[in-house]
Amino acid sequence: MSTTPLARRPLSCLKASLRQARQHKLLTRPMATEATQRTTTPPPPPRRPLEHNFFPLTDRKTKALRSAFAVYPSTTVAGKQALRPPPANVLQSLHEAQMKRMDPTGARTALFAKTREAAKVGDVLLVTHRRGGEPFAGVCLSIRRRGVDTAVLLRNHLARVGVEMWFKVYNKNVAGIEIVKRRAKRARRARLTYMRQPKHDMGSVADLVFAWKRSRKVFSTGKPAAAAKAAKGAKGAKAAAGAKKK
Amino acid sequence: MIQLKTILNCIDNSGAAIVECAQIVGQKRHASIGDRIVVVVQKQRGAQAEGMASSGAKVKRGDIRHAIVVRTKQRVQRRDGSVIRFDDNACVLINKAGDPIGSRVNGVVGSELRKKKWSRILSMAPMQA
Repeated sequence: MSTTPLARRPLSCLKASLRQARQHKLLTRPMATEATQRTTTPPPPPRRPLEHNFFPLTDRKTKALRSAFAVYPSTTVAGKQALRPPPANVLQSLHEAQMKRMDPTGARTALFAKTREAAKVGDVLLVTHRRGGEPFAGVCLSIRRRGVDTAVLLRNHLARVGVEMWFKVYNKNVAGIEIVKRRAKRARRARLTYMRQPKHDMGSVADLVFAWKRSRKVFSTGKPAAAAKAAKGAKGAKAAAGAKKK
Repeated sequence: MIQLKTILNCIDNSGAAIVECAQIVGQKRHASIGDRIVVVVQKQRGAQAEGMASSGAKVKRGDIRHAIVVRTKQRVQRRDGSVIRFDDNACVLINKAGDPIGSRVNGVVGSELRKKKWSRILSMAPMQA
């Protein structure tokens, strides 16, 4: 380019002087705007330059620009203890931790473990709620063993209508589960769904619960403390104790 | 899981014994416990007085009424993970304003009625589950 600044100088001085006058007019403030111009907001911070046409990512804590190409420290080279590998069976360890939290004494686990003392299908169970309501009793049709999601299915007749309820064993609202009556002989099925048929239906278990409560002296006036405890429904630890007594 | 043509037991003393679902009010899905439905009375209570209408009954065969589902055979899950299931489908008749037609309820009803603001029916029921 051979054009020099001299060559680009305007030829007529009228244009230059007009431009100068215009700039001068901007500097002289009129009276109307003078008052308002005093309280001017501070000028906006200078815009950060764009890096390689990427949007600038601002770190919220440090207010520094974050590069889109982050480099994290290596877990293998820097130190073997830096990041421990996850356990082999993540879900199982999670369930164990949750079960430990929901059942510190281990009573709920023991009540539905696969042992001789534990509750089995065909037993009549009584579930007490922490949140009011009447305790629900019924014959256990099936036990769903799924770690912390372990649940039992109880069936009973209320006002001559069959009612079935699933209860989560590790639910904090389930204050206690007690074995009212054991099945005389071990059931040869895992799920006693045939007990829904009228031929095999047990009917109401209210009389069994009544007899069980009477045997535990719930209605007697001899030991009010013990009676009140039993009527209130045993908590997790007592549930296992009741199971062992039977 | 109450839908069109479902046959339900009517468990109040309004005079209806068996009703059939004709429509579900206010939703496009199937009805569950505490939902409002429109029913047709199929059978009157007190079958011995056949042909003799108005034996103290408030509703007659063929009447179209509103009702609240109080028991379902389909299992209903609750907030705490427990599930309830009854052996039959049952309902309680109400009028257009939402007041029960009968004065008493015979049989157990689901406690989901409390959540759906039908505590009037709940207080009439002898027991809830």
